[in-house]
Amino acid sequence: MSQHELTRKEFLKVAAGAVAVATLPRPASAAPEKPGPKRGVSIYSYSDDLFKTATLEDCLAAVGDLAADGEEIGLEVLANSHVEGYPIPSDAWVAKWTDLCRTYHIKPVEYGHWVDSKLRSEKAPWLSTKESFEMLSRDIKLANRLGFTCARTKLGVIDGQLTPVENWREFIKMALPVAAKYNVRMMPEIHPPTKLKSRMIDDYVEFIEKEKTTPWFGLNIDFGVFQNRRAPATPRAEGPGGAAGERGAAGGGARGGMAPGAGEPSKVEDMIPLLPYVHCCHGKFMEMNDNCEETSIPYPDIVKMLVERRWNGYLLSEYEGNDRNRGGAFQAVRKHHVMLRRLLGEA
Amino acid sequence: MLEKDIIQELGFRNVRKNGQVVGFQVRYRSCYYRSVWLSMSLGFDVSVDGEKFSRDQVTVTIGGRTYTQESMKTITDVQWPVSEAATLTVAKPGGLKPGMHEVEVGWGHAASYMPMEMGAMPRRPQGPEVGAAMRGMMPFIETRKIVLVA
Repeated sequence: MSQHELTRKEFLKVAAGAVAVATLPRPASAAPEKPGPKRGVSIYSYSDDLFKTATLEDCLAAVGDLAADGEEIGLEVLANSHVEGYPIPSDAWVAKWTDLCRTYHIKPVEYGHWVDSKLRSEKAPWLSTKESFEMLSRDIKLANRLGFTCARTKLGVIDGQLTPVENWREFIKMALPVAAKYNVRMMPEIHPPTKLKSRMIDDYVEFIEKEKTTPWFGLNIDFGVFQNRRAPATPRAEGPGGAAGERGAAGGGARGGMAPGAGEPSKVEDMIPLLPYVHCCHGKFMEMNDNCEETSIPYPDIVKMLVERRWNGYLLSEYEGNDRNRGGAFQAVRKHHVMLRRLLGEA
Repeated sequence: MLEKDIIQELGFRNVRKNGQVVGFQVRYRSCYYRSVWLSMSLGFDVSVDGEKFSRDQVTVTIGGRTYTQESMKTITDVQWPVSEAATLTVAKPGGLKPGMHEVEVGWGHAASYMPMEMGAMPRRPQGPEVGAAMRGMMPFIETRKIVLVA
């Protein structure tokens, strides 16, 4: 390593490190036109309605309705689920997509995709480095074609801690020039049970700094890592069965939910050293009360920190509460955005 | 648009070939949030009114093409979209009588981003303990009483 490169450990030792983070050259942001954290939605929130009680256009209209006049709202899609004809949508569909985004004041931000290590078999050997790179390249190009500047790059895992597949460094490194050419920032999602202070994060940061990947490979932080209590059961959840046992890490149902995988929470300040690598976050939320407050994840602390640090990315609402399969997702996301507007000083 | 239930009632019909009723079909939508590559779909198990059918007796039609369950294992570049119900065609000479039938379908899918081997897991009904965001993640059985008319 040359003497001009700074390891993460060295950087954090600098007394003014925290202040310096805010004055580092900003990674090319998804939205350079408006500074600070910006609001967005992942259509994943509407999964239980989409194609059953709502069309894709209905979902985009719902998202657009969250924008203040003259503003745009950021969007995340899941490529497999929301792109008609995936992995090769027609030109006609892509034109329709572009038109819908314009109509509903939507800025495509994050393209959710998977590097499917288990494509051929659940048992090892899994997808080769070359095949992984090819799948990833295909998605980067499609993300660009649809107007996205970030990708939520989900890697295959090898254990219950969600450690990524062993060849991830190789195929990500191969994909960096493709990402740069197509202006798409790849980000694996940091999701419970991963903690922000962990070996897995150290491994990612070490790779980011060694290969100088910023901004083309970074991190998306899912706020489920901060969940510090079970969301209270909603009144409609008290069914005849009452509280039932949990199934795996997923808990939920009548007792109110933990985000899938949630365990011991990370501290909000643990995110600070990672901010230079984070272009989007998943605004995970479980339940909003009627005062539009999230009941289990410390949003005021999170947003305050992001505003103070002048973080420039998108907060993409990701609803995983149980009203989702009772038609409640649309209102839940609206409540989430009232909360975000208040915390951002817009309302 | 799809029905909210996983097992669709629309399209529950007997199937005729050369004037004979050779079986029946039922449509099934995925409750998993993600469209899956056919090779990552881990097979449909169908029972009706307690009668179990083998996987070889059930073909799967997606996107206008019909696949045997065995051939699906090798298809890595075609997806089953969440926007579309798969049509399961079950070979049963004489088909089903018009009326109400209890249809049970077991299904599961591989997931690269989850550590478990889904193909080795038993299939169970999804109770209320399965949160909304986890529905369809683990292999499961779905049951519905639906009416066949013709």
